[in-house]
Amino acid sequence: MTKSIFLSLAFHTTMIILTALSLPFMLRAPLDLPPILSVELIQITDETSVPYAAKAAKTLEKIKKEEEEKRVVSEQAPPAEKKKEKPDRIPLPEDLNKEKKQIVKKKQNPKEIKEQIRQSSEFEKKELFDPDQIAALIDKSKEDTAETLKKNKKLTQSSVKTSFANALTLSQEDALKAQIFGCWSLPLGLPYQKNLLVRIKLRLRPDGTVLRSEILDHARMNQPGQGFYKVLAESALRAIRICQPLRVPPTGYEKWKDLQLNFDANEMLKG
Amino acid sequence: MRKIILLIFYLFILINPAKALVEVDITRGNLDPLPIAVSPLYIESGSIDIKTEQEIIKNVGERISEVIEVNFKRSGLFNPLKKDSFVQKPDIAHVKPRFEDWRLIKAQALVTGKVKVSEDKLRVEFRLWDTVAAKEMIALAFSTTPKNWRRVAHIISDKVYQRLTGEKGYFDTRIIYVSETGLKTQRFKKLAIMDQDGANVKYLTLGNELVLTPRFSPKNQLVTYLSYFRNLPRVYLLDIETGVQEVVGDFPGMTFAPRFSPDGKKIIMSFAQDGNSDIYTMNLETRVVERITDHTSIDTSPSYSPDGKYICFNSDRSGLQQIYVMRSDGSNVKRITFGKGLYGTPVWSPRGDLIAFTKVHKGKFYIGVMRADGSGERLLTENFYQEAPSWSPNGRVLIFYRETKTDEKGEGFSAKLWSIDLTGYNERLIETETDGSDPSWSSLLSK
Amino acid sequence: MGFRMNLRNFLVIFFAGLMLNACATVKKDSMLQGDVYTGSDTIEYLASGVKDRVFFATNKSTLTTASRDTLRAQAAWMRGKGKKLSFTIEGHADERGTREYNLALGERRANSVKDYLMTYGISGSRLSVISYGKERPVNSGSNPLAWSQNRRSVTVKAN
Repeated sequence: MTKSIFLSLAFHTTMIILTALSLPFMLRAPLDLPPILSVELIQITDETSVPYAAKAAKTLEKIKKEEEEKRVVSEQAPPAEKKKEKPDRIPLPEDLNKEKKQIVKKKQNPKEIKEQIRQSSEFEKKELFDPDQIAALIDKSKEDTAETLKKNKKLTQSSVKTSFANALTLSQEDALKAQIFGCWSLPLGLPYQKNLLVRIKLRLRPDGTVLRSEILDHARMNQPGQGFYKVLAESALRAIRICQPLRVPPTGYEKWKDLQLNFDANEMLKG
Repeated sequence: MRKIILLIFYLFILINPAKALVEVDITRGNLDPLPIAVSPLYIESGSIDIKTEQEIIKNVGERISEVIEVNFKRSGLFNPLKKDSFVQKPDIAHVKPRFEDWRLIKAQALVTGKVKVSEDKLRVEFRLWDTVAAKEMIALAFSTTPKNWRRVAHIISDKVYQRLTGEKGYFDTRIIYVSETGLKTQRFKKLAIMDQDGANVKYLTLGNELVLTPRFSPKNQLVTYLSYFRNLPRVYLLDIETGVQEVVGDFPGMTFAPRFSPDGKKIIMSFAQDGNSDIYTMNLETRVVERITDHTSIDTSPSYSPDGKYICFNSDRSGLQQIYVMRSDGSNVKRITFGKGLYGTPVWSPRGDLIAFTKVHKGKFYIGVMRADGSGERLLTENFYQEAPSWSPNGRVLIFYRETKTDEKGEGFSAKLWSIDLTGYNERLIETETDGSDPSWSSLLSK
Repeated sequence: MGFRMNLRNFLVIFFAGLMLNACATVKKDSMLQGDVYTGSDTIEYLASGVKDRVFFATNKSTLTTASRDTLRAQAAWMRGKGKKLSFTIEGHADERGTREYNLALGERRANSVKDYLMTYGISGSRLSVISYGKERPVNSGSNPLAWSQNRRSVTVKAN
């Protein structure tokens, strides 16, 4: 009997030791994955540049092709040419090509652009490019629909929505935003989940003070049930006034003299 | 012909060069309370002092501005600036404020006014200015008896609040609550009523019998509550003006948890008999009693939606306390809480969008809000013991009460009223002379 | 296989059993069984050997075996020496719940007691019920023991 007990003990011990030893081997150390950093591909130019020339040229070339029989006055470049005249805004030929490439890239990946913009708060403007229409140089703000503007064949209202890289560099826009962030006292009594966007169009003087201001969506100010809109708009106007003179670039007045500020309280209130 | 049109077309482009409109998105601001300057109201010559029971008031203009400042500060939305930095005198500021002076101290809004006190009349004029835009925003005048000077201050606060936030104010309101004193095992309870800022406390009962859960009628004249008069716990009606009390209905058992319907015509409450509690209503005019729930579970804490069409209530028919919503005739009962823990004291917001409640989970008590379908549950605050939220009339602020833990000797117990903003900010203790519990907010006194 | 084997097995089982018993004993000493108070503090007597109250688990109004024993004794005395008396049955709750629900819960607890007494022949006209919810705790502490003592239904002489 003792012999069997002994054997049993021996076997049991061996099994236990084996398990104890092998288990750690079976346990693999968890992979130490580096945290995923979202990398934003922001195209920053070294200097403010206006590649209108490139765009306009492309658009008009296409249209030229479409209407071969008609003799188009090739004043297509007038807008661009004028821009070209501005001394420090002329992109050098090599730069021009670079711009072209960059722009083309953007165009091909509209979705990507959107994501990039959302991630970086500074890079908001989307460049929407509709090569099919001469009205390609269209103001595309968040609210305005492309349809209504497409209908507008006249180019009189050809306010161009420019991306940051076009009229203000990233750092310039940053500076302006930071300044206004500091001046804007958000009315705390605003309701959640409503449209809390106020767009204010400004005409600025060269020193950054405001010559004229206009609230777009003015009709909302007195709508019943939208009382908060008036309050929101007033707070935005107050912010602008307190912040004068605005931090505008020292040069290029023609480019930024019409400034539209889109105050959106939703992000702050959601958090 | 076409060519010519096209020519004109392109010439147009030539003449109107593309304009650049730079757009910048402003998505952040600061959430600091709005800096506002409340200038003491200027007292017109010929005014006399105001005599009240407690005191003689010589400078009601200054007192009014102080009441307004306290209201603003307690709301958490405004930051009233210190008076010693004011440059302009009250009389001039009211007529022609020098906006640069006010902007210098960083005020974005300014309240000025003037007061005339005679024997039986108090006339108050006030103006709200936007110092940044340099324009007047409101100009109003009131006239009332001198002893109502506090209400004038509250009405001015409400007007300014509404103009600057877009929401109706809640300052010209009262709070009814249970004042508590004595040992935890033998609490002495009285009905008390006060202005929402704590002033003008009045006791409505003597404290000889236990009183609980008082609620205002929407007309503010009547109050309903539970009283243990003659050791029979029943729902009573009390007229604040006349002091007359009467039992609601003729029930052969305990009635409790009373509330008014939004039109003030009915009282809704629970009636307990033979171990079962159901919800009943009684029409105050016709005295007709209607049974709303008929279930062997405990159904209590009923609260009407502001349009009177629905009732939310507390029931343990699923085994534990949960919140249900039904039509006001008792049909279509739906459970709306499914989270972990117990849910109780549901109360419908005057805005109709949310239901506030008490939640108990793992030994902790929470005050929270959810949408009327039970979604979007948000817990605002956590404590050892707190319950029974009540809404301000603008559906923005919740008042509730907390009790403290006692120590090993069984001492250190206290009950206090607290308030919190819907966003979870501005949690604030409400000072009361004695301990307090079961607070309920009135609707606006001025309609 | 042999006496030794059996003896060893028996000893193992015996000692294991002792250990388990010890655990059980420890529980009893804490005066709470499940969630129900089983101690003797706060209890008063209607008559010699007749306890005046029974205790409940959190959120429950069901009677434990101990409660039934107490109530049978009450019923017996009510039929006997106490037959001329009427009684008020008070229902109470602990402070760990909302006030209005606790009022209803107290009423339910008191009615459990009343129903049980009635099954032992006490006429309902002699028994009235009142709920105090959490308003009249007997122990002002904020701990499980205090709360268990407060979850009670007390039979009180009415006249």
